[in-house]
Amino acid sequence: MDKRLRNVLNQLTAPDTELRRRAMEPFVRATFPVFIRHLHRYLGNEVECEDVLEDVYADIWENPEHLRHVESEGHLLKTVYLYYMRKRLREVYRRMNRRSSLSQSDLQNLVAPELGLCDLISQAELKQLLHKMVGKLKARERKAIVMWMEGMSNRAIANELKTTVGAVKMLEFRTILKLRRMLKEYCGEQGEED
Amino acid sequence: MPNTHREIQELLADYAVALRDGCLPAFLKSLTREEAKRIRGSSDFWEATEVVRLMNSAGFGDKVVTPDVGLFISRVDAGIASRLKKAGASTRAHRPSRMNLR
Repeated sequence: MDKRLRNVLNQLTAPDTELRRRAMEPFVRATFPVFIRHLHRYLGNEVECEDVLEDVYADIWENPEHLRHVESEGHLLKTVYLYYMRKRLREVYRRMNRRSSLSQSDLQNLVAPELGLCDLISQAELKQLLHKMVGKLKARERKAIVMWMEGMSNRAIANELKTTVGAVKMLEFRTILKLRRMLKEYCGEQGEED
Repeated sequence: MPNTHREIQELLADYAVALRDGCLPAFLKSLTREEAKRIRGSSDFWEATEVVRLMNSAGFGDKVVTPDVGLFISRVDAGIASRLKKAGASTRAHRPSRMNLR
């Protein structure tokens, strides 16, 4: 872990509340890009991401105990997600549950799930990995996924592929499951290497 | 009229679009009981959502980086100040008054 971040974490877990408050600025500067990208995975909305993250940082300041034994940047992200972000993510959606048909546990699993496959790898690594996996798909599958990731609607993708929206949804579903199998294999290989 | 009998692949596609477009609440509200049941029973759906989140992050995660982190830091600090104030107020409220001690 970066030496500066290590020092900031030491200050952040100190008993003195003012010292902890002063440590927040360098801590936010060092971690904001990573934390907000991670949150974006679950919310997909930058305004909400900032609101949630604001509370997450204040929670960290108030109760930094879980960060005491953090050893690496990956470990930091994991700890912050499991102990601080998930709680806030659940709160965001708890209010809506009255109008949702999903059970409380399904809602939690959808909006604030356990860490899944490759969830802690860096943004650059993730992009590289997905690029590699998408490259292994069949031409039609690849086209659908690439167009989706470029922000195209399913109707536009269907027009490009000269098929129906329903067929595109089915193609995307099967392709996503295929990608998951590939990611699982990759994660298994990584696990063996470690 | 919205389709209220969506198959699992349609539900996943709608979830993915909602996540990508930042309108997950609209997707959650759109679910019928039958669809919620379908989601619950489909391990494929849950496995696919993992990949959708990763795709969302790889494709659109970079757009969330706020240009002015300084402004965000002042918001965090204001939040902390408010919590300090609340904590101070509650400590004062719980402290026994001199009148009571006498």
